[in-house]
Amino acid sequence: MTAYKRQFYPGASSPAKNRRKVMDPKVKLKKLRDVSMDDVVRIMGHRNPGEDYKSIHPPIEEGKEPNCPIRKLVEPIEGAKKGDRIRYIQFTDSVYFAPISPYQRAWMYLSRYRGIDTGTLSGRQIIEVRERDLEKLAKEMIDNETFDPALTGIRGATVHGHACRLDENGLMFDAWQRYIWDKNKKEVVYVKDQVAVPLDRKISVGKPASMADLKKRTTIFRADGVDMRDDKEVTAYGLRIHKLRTFGGYQPFNVKDV
Amino acid sequence: MLSEPTVDYAGIPLPEVEVFSHVLLSAETTEKVLNALDPIERIRQINMTGESVPRELNSGPAKGLPNNHSERKVIKVGGREVELRFQVGAFYIELDVENEEMMNAIVEKIRTACEATLPRGFDLTVGRYSKYRKTLSDYK
Repeated sequence: MTAYKRQFYPGASSPAKNRRKVMDPKVKLKKLRDVSMDDVVRIMGHRNPGEDYKSIHPPIEEGKEPNCPIRKLVEPIEGAKKGDRIRYIQFTDSVYFAPISPYQRAWMYLSRYRGIDTGTLSGRQIIEVRERDLEKLAKEMIDNETFDPALTGIRGATVHGHACRLDENGLMFDAWQRYIWDKNKKEVVYVKDQVAVPLDRKISVGKPASMADLKKRTTIFRADGVDMRDDKEVTAYGLRIHKLRTFGGYQPFNVKDV
Repeated sequence: MLSEPTVDYAGIPLPEVEVFSHVLLSAETTEKVLNALDPIERIRQINMTGESVPRELNSGPAKGLPNNHSERKVIKVGGREVELRFQVGAFYIELDVENEEMMNAIVEKIRTACEATLPRGFDLTVGRYSKYRKTLSDYK
């Protein structure tokens, strides 16, 4: 018997390929910008840069853990070892060809990281992790190709905007205007943290990508981009799950000829 | 849009022009559009819709702080000051016209004004999009 080879997503269209790419932990995502770790910490607003991590329990190494076979089996992540608090970052992704959308974010996070809890909503995706691990993850997510300065927002609350028309500069609407368009540099600049507390200084997250580039990079199927119905394999996969669920309920294995 | 009509009933449902912008407009562009529409005769009222922008942050740890949103400000339209509470996305222009010919002429003037001020594109349609007289729920 050959070992099971993990599969990620069907289809030959570009959004399908991009979905496979973001979900496959063996693929290293392209780094497009470098926002410093201190700035990432500032944008999240959970602690001040340089400040100690607050803890909610003593470090695991102190040996006060109960005798539990599962605890022995699972290697704790760095933040759990140190007893860090659990903090979050939340991204909002525009429907206008953002590089990724919330549902694929969940797939990507769960496929690539350990010790996380993520929640999907229509326009936003929260991810909760131990604080020091979160900071590393957040920096990766802001720096890599799944983030676009104009179409991805870092928003802890009042996230509304993912399905709104873009503004005149091509930025996604934000009622709290956490980031603004720098006309001179042609860059997007954060002026408030993710819950809109004003920042001491502006943080640039770089230039937005062009629409043509985003259409190639996106994981979003859209009627005015790549239509999901044009990708036969993706359509068949959706229909198959639909049929198994409709005919089989909780016993899809009993449905034949699908 | 408000539930109750913003002006008194004209006695007849008047036509309305919807100008639906392809992008959300800055306060500056909104001001330009309104000033371009201002000299056109027989416009009875203009209502605007868009995405709400609060004056103060309404939740979270920064609750109560001023929002400082660049598009929430007072604009000047035909000498009058108008406070924007939205990032405007559409205009509903009610026309006080007597016949179709008159309406078409004004719609063309509106189209020209919008073409000059909305370079990012818009859709213009004529119909009736809001309430023109009070209904039962307005008498509470």
